[in-house]
Amino acid sequence: MSIIQVALTVAVILIGIYMYRRLRSTLLDVILIFLFMGAGVFLVLFPDFSHKIAHAVGVGRGADLIFYLGFLFLFFLVLKLYARLRRMEQTFTEIVRKKSMEEAEDRLPQDH
Amino acid sequence: MINTSSIFAVIPCYNEAGVIRQTVEEVMASGYSVIVVDDCSADETAKQVIGLPVFYIKHKINLGQGAALQTGIDAALKKGADVIVSFDADGQHDIDDIAGMLKKLETEKLDIVFGSRFLPGSKTNISSMRKLLLKLGRLMNYFFTGILLSDAHNGLRVMNRHAASVIRLRENRMAHATEFLKEVKRNRLRYAEFPVHIRYTGYSIKKGQSPLNSVRIFFDILLNKIFD
Repeated sequence: MSIIQVALTVAVILIGIYMYRRLRSTLLDVILIFLFMGAGVFLVLFPDFSHKIAHAVGVGRGADLIFYLGFLFLFFLVLKLYARLRRMEQTFTEIVRKKSMEEAEDRLPQDH
Repeated sequence: MINTSSIFAVIPCYNEAGVIRQTVEEVMASGYSVIVVDDCSADETAKQVIGLPVFYIKHKINLGQGAALQTGIDAALKKGADVIVSFDADGQHDIDDIAGMLKKLETEKLDIVFGSRFLPGSKTNISSMRKLLLKLGRLMNYFFTGILLSDAHNGLRVMNRHAASVIRLRENRMAHATEFLKEVKRNRLRYAEFPVHIRYTGYSIKKGQSPLNSVRIFFDILLNKIFD
């Protein structure tokens, strides 16, 4: 086992443990975390496996395939986060608006 | 003819202590009701309007001009406005243009009238850089909303109660100008443009949008298109 394999395996397991401690709310979360963690460790320890899949879909190296997929996933994540940010902004805008309205000073002449 | 006190001018402002009082007094002198939406100014904007017979709302957090306009529109609707005018605080607009826009709104049975710097009869001392950006902006608005106006970002608009109640601005910052067009399209509102007079002053240029900010507006519009 090379140094990078040790480092990556430890990193994946640590991230897995961290996720588990934060998200162990439902059984599905726990299963998913361990599934991803297991897949990560497996791919690190047996890189030939990702090579085979890469070749099968027409990508030269396993690492490249994972890079492409990882990039897509991160891009998707950024979009999701941005959408959530927009929703949050709209929500707090409504709250600020409501509060400001309640405390508005109505000094308009009362002739209409 | 509409009673002038049921015509509400919504004036969003952010750190406009130097000009807000004069702008508000000018609008009031024409008999319109005034709603000042102070977007959490850090200067003495609030002090400047103390004692003026206006509806004064202050945002607790700075949200942006689009958000301030929507707050003002909500307030005007609540106060029973028949017509709502959006009016910039910085003194760029000519109060006399409102009368012409109102007349157009009524006689042509429109829902909303947009002010324009670039129609026959408009008067403006705009810089060529700004002019170029607005020309690009109008094409971009057309691309994103399907509505081609002669001006892209004019703060002076006159709308009837119907338009004000169906238009919902969710872009808190400057992309709301494009959102107006999107809402016009979505709600099939009847619209037109009207030539207005915009006076750029040293103050209004300093306070207004920098040309660079148009990049940010572009991205806000793009993201609005993607996420809504």
